[in-house]
Amino acid sequence: MTAPSGPPVAAPRLSRADFATMGITFFSLGVTLQVLLIDNGTSATRAFIASAVIFSATSQFAYLAVRDGGGSDLAGIVAAWVVATRFGILAVSLNRRLPKGIGRRVLAALNAFDPNVAIAVQQTSPQAVEREFWRTTAGMMIGWFLGIGVGTFLGNVVGDTSRIGLDAVFPAALLAILGNLLRQRDGFVAGICGALICLVLIPLVPAGLPIILSVFGAAVALLLSRQPVSDTENGSSA
Amino acid sequence: MTTVAIVAITIGVWGQRLAGAFLVGPLLEKRPALSRAAALLPAAVVMAVIVQLTVTKAGSLTVDARLAGMGVAAVLVWRKAPFLVVVLSAAATAALLRAFA
Repeated sequence: MTAPSGPPVAAPRLSRADFATMGITFFSLGVTLQVLLIDNGTSATRAFIASAVIFSATSQFAYLAVRDGGGSDLAGIVAAWVVATRFGILAVSLNRRLPKGIGRRVLAALNAFDPNVAIAVQQTSPQAVEREFWRTTAGMMIGWFLGIGVGTFLGNVVGDTSRIGLDAVFPAALLAILGNLLRQRDGFVAGICGALICLVLIPLVPAGLPIILSVFGAAVALLLSRQPVSDTENGSSA
Repeated sequence: MTTVAIVAITIGVWGQRLAGAFLVGPLLEKRPALSRAAALLPAAVVMAVIVQLTVTKAGSLTVDARLAGMGVAAVLVWRKAPFLVVVLSAAATAALLRAFA
């Protein structure tokens, strides 16, 4: 995204342009989520509180997708949890590379997201990992909170969200977040299997279950994998 | 969103990061096959959410402009287009199709 500068093999540091891109990305995610939540019947105040404390657009969308399909509150909650398992995985790969110290590790783990971990784990020293992690996190947070603020006001103004294609924004954003993982063979197979499981089950089982049962797509991908079993890194970015 | 959902999802999202980093992560390190499966989990589950958001309406399968938007998004993600280009192209495709349909 930015022209390389400085010594040839330097780890990618977050340039000002990257910082701005991160902010704009999370700003647009925040606006979209807010507008769609309000469109879905959640009051503006409640939608703002939900997005501020949960701070995970993907989990909120998993919940919304289930509820929109007529699923129970519990099914929506479980779907949101299942989607959030990736944060645990991201926290693991981040944790290994941070400087020692339980306090800073807890604080960093709590803020593990796709893009900040992807950038942080590319750094060479634990200090650089921590510094770039928090710089990226700052960009994301500024964008997110401005975005959900603006979205809360826009939510009541936009009207028919599908007219401007807003209902296509979120699946597209999810796909972009997953991009790096889907470009690897095993990740691609897991993604296709998860999608197929969900597609086949939608007409057959109660709403919510297709998303929850899609976890078996990962098992299928593991069985079909050509890679020898070894510890691999998972990094995806928005 | 119900209050129960907001509280439960908040605990689940923040708690899983701590559980992953300090409990499950160290356990998985000794079990490479399980940790590989865990690394593939997001691809399977998030793709299922994408399917749900793209081809269903009120719980039943529907094909509409969203699917075309996702087709465009898929090509752009594959070509490593920037995030905003992906998202705006998907929205524009769906909106244009609806405007001319």
